[in-house]
Amino acid sequence: MKFIVNALRRVEGDSYVTLNARIYSFLLWGLTNPKVLSPAHTLRQMIRIGVEALPMASLVALSVGFILAMQASTELGKLGANSFIPDLVSLSLLRELGPLLIAIIVVGRSGSAVAAELGTMKVNEEIEALKVMAISPVRFLVIPRYLALMIMLPILTVFGNCVGLAGGWAVCVGTLDMTSSFYITHAVQRPEVWDLYSGLIKSAVFAHLIITIACYQGLGVTGGAEGVGRATTASVVYSILWIIIADAALTGLFFFAL
Amino acid sequence: MSRAPRQINSGPKKIFQPGEVILEVRDLTMVFGDRRVLDNIRFQVRAGETFVIMGGSGCGKTTLLRCLIGAQKPTSGSIHLFGEDITRMDPIEMDRIRLRFGMNFQFGALFQSMTVGENIALPLQEHSEVDPSLIEMIVKMKLELVGLTGFETFMPSALSGGMRKRVGLARAMALDPEILFSDEPTSGLDPVMTAVVDQLTLDSTRKIGATAVVVSHDMTSVFRIATRILMIGNGPRQGQVVAEGTPEEIRKNPDPFLQQFVKGEADGPIPLRMAQDDYLKHLLGDG
Ligand SMILES: Nc1ncnc2c1ncn2[C@@H]1O[C@H](COP(=O)(O)OP(=O)(O)OP(=O)(O)O)[C@@H](O)[C@H]1O
Ligand SMILES: [Mg+2]
Repeated sequence: MKFIVNALRRVEGDSYVTLNARIYSFLLWGLTNPKVLSPAHTLRQMIRIGVEALPMASLVALSVGFILAMQASTELGKLGANSFIPDLVSLSLLRELGPLLIAIIVVGRSGSAVAAELGTMKVNEEIEALKVMAISPVRFLVIPRYLALMIMLPILTVFGNCVGLAGGWAVCVGTLDMTSSFYITHAVQRPEVWDLYSGLIKSAVFAHLIITIACYQGLGVTGGAEGVGRATTASVVYSILWIIIADAALTGLFFFAL
Repeated sequence: MSRAPRQINSGPKKIFQPGEVILEVRDLTMVFGDRRVLDNIRFQVRAGETFVIMGGSGCGKTTLLRCLIGAQKPTSGSIHLFGEDITRMDPIEMDRIRLRFGMNFQFGALFQSMTVGENIALPLQEHSEVDPSLIEMIVKMKLELVGLTGFETFMPSALSGGMRKRVGLARAMALDPEILFSDEPTSGLDPVMTAVVDQLTLDSTRKIGATAVVVSHDMTSVFRIATRILMIGNGPRQGQVVAEGTPEEIRKNPDPFLQQFVKGEADGPIPLRMAQDDYLKHLLGDG
């Protein structure tokens, strides 16, 4: 164990892969020595990058719930299949739209903030000062943010799913003369546990991508304030790109290959 | 703030007696693109010395210091710090060496998201088993040394440039390092504060027996603290050692380049402005 950790920490260079190697080395180390993971910092980051995204995530999830139900009603209504709307809303949310949209909100809100914050620290020589004090910037700065997002994004996603279902309910009950009990039974019974889990696995993968890309871009800043701006933009653009690619790959894996 | 465990085993370490070579630089060259910023620098620093590196702006002093602390790998050459070649070290070994020296950055490099007190406390929290109440006391002591009593709770952004530099110095000294690297610790300070910081450097070498490597081009301060001086050239002598010796030897050295720098004269061999003909050619753009 110690051997693997040290081997990973010895990796030199500043590529995306080496950043990941360092993160894993500290996580592995944290298994035997939880203090390495600085729980207090992690908690503070969970509040900063997780809890503070709650209002925005709820608003988006609620709107998506509305949209799904309304769009479904126009087409399914023609077929006289309005009773399938709850199934459609809950399946789309759990499997796909919940994880994806919440992740995109978090990219814009927290990923960019992390990239800008670490980038400013880099420009200000703070990262170098940490290294010179023999404090690993990955352990001190990246790990708390990594853990915070890995924990908070799936939680936000579950929460967003619930809010989205409520949005669908409002449309169905308000405009389509559906009873609440009908909506709830269908929306909750139709999805299988795997539908929820597949969404959560997706959101964990997204969290990993968001935070590693943001930290990589932030720590790699060169060239002053302009560099910080470039890194922030790059972190948002690449995160969204890779999230969608990963989503396609995972959807293919979960619902076609397995 | 939670306290991280001691992660770095400092292991058995050799204690350097005054006069032993504690830092040795051999044929250090640093090239950025096609610019040779440091050219075959070589010198030795002995334990207990106050070694001053001076030279014009842009001659590569900060770059040299960054190489010495392992923040940058030189293009070629070796650096033996505490008897070990740090240019061939892996990150874990390097951390062991880093615990033994402190670095005061040219622009402070304070952590903007932490208070002054937290900045100074950080190395203690990370690398010692000291009790939090004791850390608080050490922070107060270090702040008192640099004349900033009562500023513990200030954020770095609320300090003046000179105050930031002094906090940087206090942080560099938090772990009582064996070697203190200091990049222009007195630039931007008033004469009284300059004298205080100089005295601090002297105290750490004379009283505590530490070694100081100081970058400076403030001549009063240089001659006040230095036991030995290294002068690096710029212009046609970019990054080369112009002279090395005790303050007396430097004063007596007839090198016109050195004399111009020491006396602070505008006219001399140090090229700053162009000759009139060259200037015209340069402006008109014909080669
Ligand atoms: N990362 C880098 N890339 C390219 N050139 C660099 C880099 N760092 C420094 N330089 C160049 O190296 C030279 C020396 O820079 P350095 O910061 O070491 O000067 P200095 O002697 O500390 O000057 P000052 O007294 O003004 O602080 C400068 O000409 C600078 O342009
Ligand atoms: Mg400098």
